[in-house]
Amino acid sequence: MSDEQEFEPRIIYFLCSWCGSGGGETAAAHHLHYPENVRPSRVNCTGALPAVHIIRPLIEGADGVVISGCYPGDCHYNDGNFRARRRVALVKSILDTLGLEPERVWFRYVAHGEGQRFVDTATEFNDHIKKLGPNPLKTRSDT
Amino acid sequence: MNDKGAILPAENGVEAAVVGWLKEALNKKVFDALLMPVQVPAGDSFAYLLLQNPALLENGSPLPPVMPVQGARAISRLTMRGNGSKRIAAVVRPCEARAAIELTKLEQAHLDNLWLITVDCPGVLPLSDYLDDPAAGAARFVEASQHWDRAPMRPVCQICHRFSMPASDLHVGTLGSADGAVFVIPGSPKGERVLESMDMPVDAALDDWAAQVKEMEEAQTERRQQAHADLRAGIAGPDGLLDVFSDCINCHNCQRVCPVCYCRQCYFESAALKLPPENYLTRSKRKGALRFPPDTLLFHIGRASHMILSCVSCGACEDACPMSIPVAQVFRLLADRAQETFGYVAGKSLDDPLPLVAYEMDEFHQVEQPYVEIYHKREVQDA
Amino acid sequence: MPEGLKINKGAQEAVRELLCSLLESGRVNGVLALGRTRGANGGVAYSLFTDSDAFVADGAALPFLPFMPANAGGLLSRLTLKGSLAGPVAAVVKPCELRAFIELVKRSQGSLDNLLLISSTCGGVYPLDVGANGGLEERLPRYWEAVKQGEVDSDVRPVCRACVHFVPENADITVALVGEEDLDTQCTLFLDTEKGAAFVKGLEGLQGTSLSGELETEPIQRSHSQRAAYREELFAGVEVGMQELIRTFGRCIGCHACKTVCPICYCSLCYFDSQDCEYLPEIYESELERKGGLRLPPNTVFFQLGRLAHVSVSCVGCGMCTDVCPADIPVSTIFSKVGTSVQALFDYQPGKDVTEEIPLMTFEEEELAQVAT
Repeated sequence: MSDEQEFEPRIIYFLCSWCGSGGGETAAAHHLHYPENVRPSRVNCTGALPAVHIIRPLIEGADGVVISGCYPGDCHYNDGNFRARRRVALVKSILDTLGLEPERVWFRYVAHGEGQRFVDTATEFNDHIKKLGPNPLKTRSDT
Repeated sequence: MNDKGAILPAENGVEAAVVGWLKEALNKKVFDALLMPVQVPAGDSFAYLLLQNPALLENGSPLPPVMPVQGARAISRLTMRGNGSKRIAAVVRPCEARAAIELTKLEQAHLDNLWLITVDCPGVLPLSDYLDDPAAGAARFVEASQHWDRAPMRPVCQICHRFSMPASDLHVGTLGSADGAVFVIPGSPKGERVLESMDMPVDAALDDWAAQVKEMEEAQTERRQQAHADLRAGIAGPDGLLDVFSDCINCHNCQRVCPVCYCRQCYFESAALKLPPENYLTRSKRKGALRFPPDTLLFHIGRASHMILSCVSCGACEDACPMSIPVAQVFRLLADRAQETFGYVAGKSLDDPLPLVAYEMDEFHQVEQPYVEIYHKREVQDA
Repeated sequence: MPEGLKINKGAQEAVRELLCSLLESGRVNGVLALGRTRGANGGVAYSLFTDSDAFVADGAALPFLPFMPANAGGLLSRLTLKGSLAGPVAAVVKPCELRAFIELVKRSQGSLDNLLLISSTCGGVYPLDVGANGGLEERLPRYWEAVKQGEVDSDVRPVCRACVHFVPENADITVALVGEEDLDTQCTLFLDTEKGAAFVKGLEGLQGTSLSGELETEPIQRSHSQRAAYREELFAGVEVGMQELIRTFGRCIGCHACKTVCPICYCSLCYFDSQDCEYLPEIYESELERKGGLRLPPNTVFFQLGRLAHVSVSCVGCGMCTDVCPADIPVSTIFSKVGTSVQALFDYQPGKDVTEEIPLMTFEEEELAQVAT
């Protein structure tokens, strides 16, 4: 086994309660698999996900954070996903300016019926993080 | 509105001219009260005073050498719960006016009965430099500001490119004031009415002043970009970043003095981050040790995510830091980048909606992760 | 006579080895102590250590560094606020930090369970601005020389020079430092409590001879008198009266940093930050009518007097407030002075006895007759 495969990333996958989680359920219904180390975490709407909750896992032990919710126009709360997109843009700007690897944060729409897309996202992100390696911030004791 | 101004004679200097003009305005009941910096009784600092009594203007200064309290905080305290019946003129630095505009958008201030009056700004001294010897500090400030020499000023004042304020109700243009006169430039109908009631015709051409402002803005913008590039090189990455914050003692002064940080109880002091001892021990075991109190870096990055879109680069945070961390410089770098990404300038206009409140359907596609059609790790075997 | 343990190693080395052994043996799950943060600046912060590597010779831990980036009493409160420790954790703290923690425990803001409290006789700490940017290193030789002679380096916090409570109360283990001339080669640990003794007895890697000794040696008593004299002088220098207070706090910018770093100020939302102090415009206008001028933000002196009313009875004179003030106001001198008189009035010593009630939470039927007219 190569070094790359020995590193098992800790990944948080934020899913909105509607399309995001729906995608997960559809995947389950079709018996599709995704890596165990990708941990789903449900939020009511991606627009309700505070910026701090994307940042905090990256300091405390996560190697990557991926966020999925409804497509533009489909948000159960009308515009939550638009706000989420802006918030993710803000967080990425901060991470980029501070040299903290904004590529460890992904934002991708997943619809209720897109089970394959859901598992593909989880798997692809997992492979992506494996290539990036462990998050250097998470082992710092002086944060 | 900004291409003509009124002339204010200033043979005895800008301070005397502005104070005289404000006194006249008070006496003529153009305003009911003024909010401006006044020297404190011990003579070792300045504080914002809401005053009605013209005699109190004796020790007043429109451009004091220091900014102990960010003027927007004073304005917000006063107007948080609405405007009263008194018409109040607030004499503040451009960055304080911009912060007041941001706070109004955030519903923490109300400007209906308040006039923002600004003056071309040479910066302010770092508070600790001034407090070492206030008299010497005051002299140093006067000398430097006369030549627009920003070297003794706060680091973020040194790279400020928004030192002249087109969006206040009245702006005193002093750059290159020749013939012992300065311009009073209205920025709103409210401002125009004030000049009318003081019989100050708005008919002087501003070309000369405007050209000088533009020249200085360009030079400052260049300095700013260089400073940001240098700073970023030093702090990018976990090592550089944690070096900068290695002295941080979590006093949260930066958050407390920041005009934009208005939360009564900051998230980073709330119960959300107060956890059972098992949590701290687990985190410590994972990392080998846990800096205590924890969440130092989270506080700074998190606070940045909350306020940099409204950051006006005043530098109050850095002045207040007891460990001399260049907080304002770091936050200013983050703010410039973020505001640029959103095409937003904090405090420029009340009509610009806050970037996290507004949105377009069709934008920021660069943030959306494109999909790889059916992502398989392993090759599909041929049937 | 308290039981002690004499170790034939320098104090720094001996204590580091003690902590290392406590962790390695599993007798404690963690140690709260000062340590180096990573940084070219040489930043220092308290850290909760679980890896014994921190305590080897060149490790990150710096247990007795004369520096206080935060009052550890407040940190112990943070650690145990949401629940007592399930397993033992050691903490190396200064006497005033320990007293502050006791005061917090009385206010239900922490728990003493499973804490092994290690303290020392204290020679004071340097102000924060000395420690910023790595300024401590060059001062240490002078500092430790003074400590050995039973003296206090004149550059430490003024309230440290004036501190008469530099012998810890309520510690489980006290390390003798002040007045110990052979600090570099020998170290005496006083095992003040049974708990302290139990943690140390039979600890592998810890070699020392038992002794009975007095913590309050002659150098300590001498130091006490010197500090008491300086204390009087320091307090006498505070200018009192309303006009003088206005002058002193004239520079105050209302940042409330003094409150944030104060270990006793534990309120999640301070009264002076609450809605009660967010006034309607009519209030500002009527005050303006009355006085002709009104400082904004308001309540500069009111905040100071109010905070005094809230905390002076428990003020332990640690000096964090002065250090953090951006306007160079000697807050801790004033608060210590008032604190001392208030505590004398109630015959109360903060941090001395965890079972002793806070004066404002209790009363006698017959007392303080001088108050009622």
